[in-house]
Amino acid sequence: MNEESARSKFQGESTINRENGQDRRFYLSREPVILTVLSVLATVFFLAVTGLSHVFHAQQESLGTRWFTRGAEDLRQQRFTAAEYDLRTALLYSRDNFSYQFNLAEALIGQGRRTEARAYLVNLWDRAPENGQVNLELARIAVQSNETEKALRYYHNAIYAAWPGDQELERRDARLELVEFLLGIHATKQAQSELIALAANLDNDPSQHARVADLFFRAQDYEHAFAEYLLSLKSGPQNPAVLAGAGRAAFELRRYPLAQRYLQAAVAANPSDASSFAILKTTELVLRMDPFSRSIPLFQRDRIVVEDFATAGARLKSCPGTVGASSPVSSAATQPNLAEQWMKMSKQVTERGLRRNPELIEGAMDLVFEIEHKTNDICGAPTGNNLALLLISKSHEGN
Amino acid sequence: MKETSLDILPNSQIEAPLPSRASGIASRMMMREEHFFLILSVFIGVFAALAVVSFRFAIEWCRMYLLGTGYTLSTSRLLLAPSLAGLVIAVLVIHVFPRARGSGVNQTKAALYIYDGYIPFRTAIGKFITAALAIGSGHSLGPEDPSLQIGACLASALGRRLRLSRERMRLIAPVGAAAGLAAAFNAPISAILFVIEEVIGRWTAGILGSVVLSAVSSVVVMRWFLGSEPLFRIPVVELQHPSELIAYSILGVVGGLASVAFSTGIGVLRPRLKALPTWTQYFQPAVAGLLIGIIGVLGAPQVMGAGYEYMDEAMHGQFTWQMLAILAGLKIVATLLSFVSGTPGGMFAPTLFIGAMLGAAVGGAEHAFLPHLAASPGTYALVGMGVLFAGFLRAPMTSVFMVLEVSGNYSIIVPVIVANAIAYAISRGLQPTAVFDVLTRQDGMDLPSMEEQREEGILRVEDAMRSSTGPVLEAADSVDHAFQQADAKDLDVLLIRLTPSGWSSLAREELESMVKEGKGGLTLDSVLANRQTPYLHPDHPLDSALRYVDRWPLVPVVSRADFSKLVGVISQDDVLKRYREFGES
Repeated sequence: MNEESARSKFQGESTINRENGQDRRFYLSREPVILTVLSVLATVFFLAVTGLSHVFHAQQESLGTRWFTRGAEDLRQQRFTAAEYDLRTALLYSRDNFSYQFNLAEALIGQGRRTEARAYLVNLWDRAPENGQVNLELARIAVQSNETEKALRYYHNAIYAAWPGDQELERRDARLELVEFLLGIHATKQAQSELIALAANLDNDPSQHARVADLFFRAQDYEHAFAEYLLSLKSGPQNPAVLAGAGRAAFELRRYPLAQRYLQAAVAANPSDASSFAILKTTELVLRMDPFSRSIPLFQRDRIVVEDFATAGARLKSCPGTVGASSPVSSAATQPNLAEQWMKMSKQVTERGLRRNPELIEGAMDLVFEIEHKTNDICGAPTGNNLALLLISKSHEGN
Repeated sequence: MKETSLDILPNSQIEAPLPSRASGIASRMMMREEHFFLILSVFIGVFAALAVVSFRFAIEWCRMYLLGTGYTLSTSRLLLAPSLAGLVIAVLVIHVFPRARGSGVNQTKAALYIYDGYIPFRTAIGKFITAALAIGSGHSLGPEDPSLQIGACLASALGRRLRLSRERMRLIAPVGAAAGLAAAFNAPISAILFVIEEVIGRWTAGILGSVVLSAVSSVVVMRWFLGSEPLFRIPVVELQHPSELIAYSILGVVGGLASVAFSTGIGVLRPRLKALPTWTQYFQPAVAGLLIGIIGVLGAPQVMGAGYEYMDEAMHGQFTWQMLAILAGLKIVATLLSFVSGTPGGMFAPTLFIGAMLGAAVGGAEHAFLPHLAASPGTYALVGMGVLFAGFLRAPMTSVFMVLEVSGNYSIIVPVIVANAIAYAISRGLQPTAVFDVLTRQDGMDLPSMEEQREEGILRVEDAMRSSTGPVLEAADSVDHAFQQADAKDLDVLLIRLTPSGWSSLAREELESMVKEGKGGLTLDSVLANRQTPYLHPDHPLDSALRYVDRWPLVPVVSRADFSKLVGVISQDDVLKRYREFGES
């Protein structure tokens, strides 16, 4: 029977049925039987499609896994283009697979295609906003795109996110990366806060303390840096880099005896460390040229004051811009300028004069400090003895 | 009979009433039938979903075995797979499954309006095989419309087996269609709306209940097998600033023009290819496949197949706007080739593809040149889908809900409505006939156009009524007074306002005979007893007046706020005159 005749027959039957009401009676009188048959049919059909579905999904999974394995290997070998191809293919078979998408995003990042990578990562973030890896990658992309607010948000998400494996370690690394970012944008206060939180959760690994100490140092929090260097030295006392760090932190804190001790140890442990050697020399000069140090006898102090005064005078002469400069506490119209003051005082600042009039020491050193500050402002940072005098002046600024 | 307003006057009171026992049995029977049909709708949903899931597997297997399992495809496969599959499809369509040709939407409409719900079961098998081969081999077609037709076929077969009444048979195909489309789209609301908007064309509780049940049961079963993930991974979408609406309006304009180009291409090319000698039909799908393969080899394999994965990539900014524009253009070409060659397959997926690419391209270009105006291209891709859906398929309601359902984000409703409305208006302005209607007319059928029906003006009572020239009498007036009024003003019929409510009428002859019988001193109220005249309101459809005007020579038209206030009157002549004028215009 062809379709046309079947349809005609159907239409004819339908009309007749409608006229005599047969159709309605047919299915209503057999309702339980019909529903039972339909249920059985649906079950059989359902089971058949379930079987098909198992075959289909198993095949898809197998293909996806095969391509993903290749992609992951390519990614490990940093063959990013090949990895992208493999992972895109894997995604054909498991479109929403988290690992496939994440690895594809990494492959795209590897090729510098940040916008595309970000699209995948944002999608993954929507699905799992608590995922640490995704947040960290998004933070890195935001850093590269100069989106500071987003970077901070994603870094913080990463720090408090769920991580596979060693969660604490991952969180710590994320925070360290955040600190590096903050230091990069000169947000030292925020960096210090993050470092304080980080330091509170460190274990006894000296390298961790040393790294955090370095970061504290870069964040200009020398107190915490010094403390962290000391903690690191507890476990590894001969580490020259840590010794040097401790010496520098102590130097910045103007704890010059301590600085001298650690720097000497650092230079002894690593004689090629020229930077530490230079700071050590400055430290030694500071210690030698400070007349207010309690450990020196009186006669020596007078001699140091005379030498410091002479050094300052020489600096004043070598910095022509300061010849007419006056003391900041006096008006130029009523008070003599620094050169005149120095000239006037130089006749009295002798070892003999100071022994006779010890009160002159204060005045002489005040002038020395003023000269060093002024010349520093006008002629740039001093070196050698003048640098030492400037540091000494800063040490005594609070007194 | 107390009240006789059309609102409260059931048809049964006008027609001859059934004896009460028979009426009760008929009512119970009808109720049982309603329940049975609803249960049947659930089964239809389940069967349709199982068929659609199998169809999806079949497409994937065809793709894997014909095009390969890699992300990029080899040149030989790109050229051979669609062209050889095209040959096989042509033979199958010409010799075995002639009704499998086309998308399936019009065939389902034809079943509803011409064949009393009859769709041969063989069509489902043919559609399943040929569409899976076509889409799997890379022809630029989608699985949604075939799914719709497969669902309708299954429902029709079931209805025939159960010997459903003709009335039910006509409804069962759309019920199956909704189930098939819902399973294919994973979007039940859009499927229901599309079937109501484009296939059935009217909202009634009986249809809606069945369609909803079948669509929902279908989606539940489909998700059991394929998961509940939406069709696309939707990026974060939001309207950042009202000025963005300008950018979306531009998208609406571009989408509207693209829709016109696309539908014009189909309208022009399809009849020309059909007019070619019969033997060429064996090669048309193969040639189309070869040309599409060449497009793939030349660097745009994305246009092959349904292309959902690429729409997803477009939404996530994986292409430059230039590439997106090229893909949109090539997809139009590829889909035209596939569709006009008679290859079985759907238009939904290509429409969404073109819309997504076009949307993302417009968004990307705007973002590049006017960064303050446009946000992420992903949002534009999503809106673009709706734009093409509105402009090309001319389903404005479905287009809006489709985007909302797919995105699950209602914050973009304003841009979607703005862009879709513009695209729809442009498309309607430049291409008065919708693409589905063009196709049916090319096939020699005259199915009702849902769009034309929506736009059709409805005549209402107010269009035909006239002012009452005669006086309105009160119930307390005497028969003598009424007769004098009729006589003085030469009126054939007089309207009487009853108390406390209601209207009645009396013919002049009746009044004359009452006067002769000596009833002239009686009040009208007493002589009329329970005789009431039905009344109408000005906003009633004019068709409603036809029920009364043959039995009452003058029907009062009263205000809805005050039933005693006469707004006008209407007679059979008035109605017929208005219809005659409407027909002439």
